[in-house]
Amino acid sequence: MLVLGIETSTPQASVAIGSEQGVIAGALVARGASHNEFLLPAIRWCLDETGLGFRSLGGIAVSLGPGLFTGTRAGVATAKALAQTLSVPIVGMASLDLLAYDIRYAPKTICAVLDARRSEVFHAFYRSSPGGIQRMTRYAVERPERLAIGIASRPEEVLMVGNGALLYREVFEELGSVAEMGTMSHSFPEARALVELALPRFFREDSDSLFDLKPLYLRHSAKRIEWDLIRGKTPA
Amino acid sequence: MANPAAETKLDPFAEWDDATLVLGIETSCDETSAAVVQGGRKILSNVIASQTDLHADYGGIVPEIAARAHIEALTPAIGVALLQADVTFWDIDAVAGTLGPGLVGCLLVGVAEAKSMAAVLDVPFVGVNHLEGHLYSAMLSDPPVQWPSLALIISGGHTMTVYVKDHGSYEMLGGTVDDAAGEAFDKVARFLGLDYPGGPEIDRLSLLGDPSAIRFPRAMSRDEGFDVSYSGLKTAVINHVRKMEASGAEVSVPDIAASFQQAAVEMQVGKTMAAAEHMGSERVLMCGGVAANSGLRSALATACEERSLPLYVPPIELCTDNAAMIAACGSAMLRAGNYTGLGASADPNLPLIR
Ligand SMILES: [Zn+2]
Repeated sequence: MLVLGIETSTPQASVAIGSEQGVIAGALVARGASHNEFLLPAIRWCLDETGLGFRSLGGIAVSLGPGLFTGTRAGVATAKALAQTLSVPIVGMASLDLLAYDIRYAPKTICAVLDARRSEVFHAFYRSSPGGIQRMTRYAVERPERLAIGIASRPEEVLMVGNGALLYREVFEELGSVAEMGTMSHSFPEARALVELALPRFFREDSDSLFDLKPLYLRHSAKRIEWDLIRGKTPA
Repeated sequence: MANPAAETKLDPFAEWDDATLVLGIETSCDETSAAVVQGGRKILSNVIASQTDLHADYGGIVPEIAARAHIEALTPAIGVALLQADVTFWDIDAVAGTLGPGLVGCLLVGVAEAKSMAAVLDVPFVGVNHLEGHLYSAMLSDPPVQWPSLALIISGGHTMTVYVKDHGSYEMLGGTVDDAAGEAFDKVARFLGLDYPGGPEIDRLSLLGDPSAIRFPRAMSRDEGFDVSYSGLKTAVINHVRKMEASGAEVSVPDIAASFQQAAVEMQVGKTMAAAEHMGSERVLMCGGVAANSGLRSALATACEERSLPLYVPPIELCTDNAAMIAACGSAMLRAGNYTGLGASADPNLPLIR
């Protein structure tokens, strides 16, 4: 079964096509074209280079974020339209899961961190498990200083990955040897990992509802937050 | 990678006929819409999911909330549009989507979906200018408009007078120098404490008030050009109400609404008719959401009648944002061989005339 993966939740966008035998084509860009400009020509190129057509695809996998709202929507909109037109199943995965999956052989607890702008980060903790990863905390958005406190209060050492970890490096380095920083090559979630992680879900027929699938925002629009504060409600 | 602009492999003139089915997608503002139009003229379906309720709390459209709503509403809207038209994806000959102008986060959802569908179906993608789409709403009404025509595009986001010589050939005559007409109506309504959206509320209250109660200034009426200004009028209303309140006088909201609408309509109709005369236009077209305003419709109808000019105003459901007009405009572009590459993106400031 051939699956197309689309990841656009960070400043880097990527697409990949693969099956249980591995990824057979992929494209990635982190500068220049907007995600919306990049996606379809890139997907077309992957198909052309491998002698495939859209109708060879048996499923669409998409990263739901958390990440940049507009970027994520470009990917989710494209994925939904492809799945709707082709009448194939769609599977949505969290961007943070992809980051953690990429370094699943690490013996430590993994903390995947993405830049959420406005001085905050998206994050979740994972441990490796046979054949993959297991998420231990809910997806969260908070200030890096608060995340650092959370890490310091854990008994084990943590390996941090993602552009949010690198952006707030000074904050996390204060933790000393408790927190190890991942390298640049693991700073963005990628479509390769998405395809690999989504394939079992297609085989289990554990796909998402095309109509209900939407990005994982973790945060209301700025206007809604402001409005809730005025009315004395705490933002959910 | 192949040059996305060079993907036009079909001969448009050989491909086009009156049976051509275009799927239209419109997500530029706060309506999520999908439509199927045959031959550029016949609406097979025109599904519109309005988000007005989502924005009512805020008294205006919140772009991020609108974009979130589009991505949820578009998939079912497209499904229903195909179902109502009794066609499948594979019957579609081209996909037209609004490229701009509009809210960038909103446009992006529609553009991404329209391009993806065109790519899968291996049919042309046509990126449509939203304003040009409004003009083509008059091609879907009965009788359809003919070019050349003077056109007033008047909505919550836009107010402009253009002369349409032919498909794709426009001369800009005038527009608002500040607020769009609908924007001014909404702001005045909000100031008067009316419900959102305020434009229709002002129109409704106008019928109960005296339009000659207060003489608000007709901005730019003595200017040579065809530009209008709504901001000054809006400020005049606010100043008037504040003065009344300060002096302890009773404020009649229907009188203010009626007088404001009267001033706005007089200014707009005056400039539009002057532009029509200047161009020697043989007909006048009014489109866009504010074309639903009863005062504007009747004043423009009277002015056109006095000059024996036929007036074309599409039905309300085609005046407000909808995908059928995008499909109709897309059909005209398709017929002219004007396709868009799959590398295209949304342009929030896309001008009508390049
Ligand atoms: Zn409009």
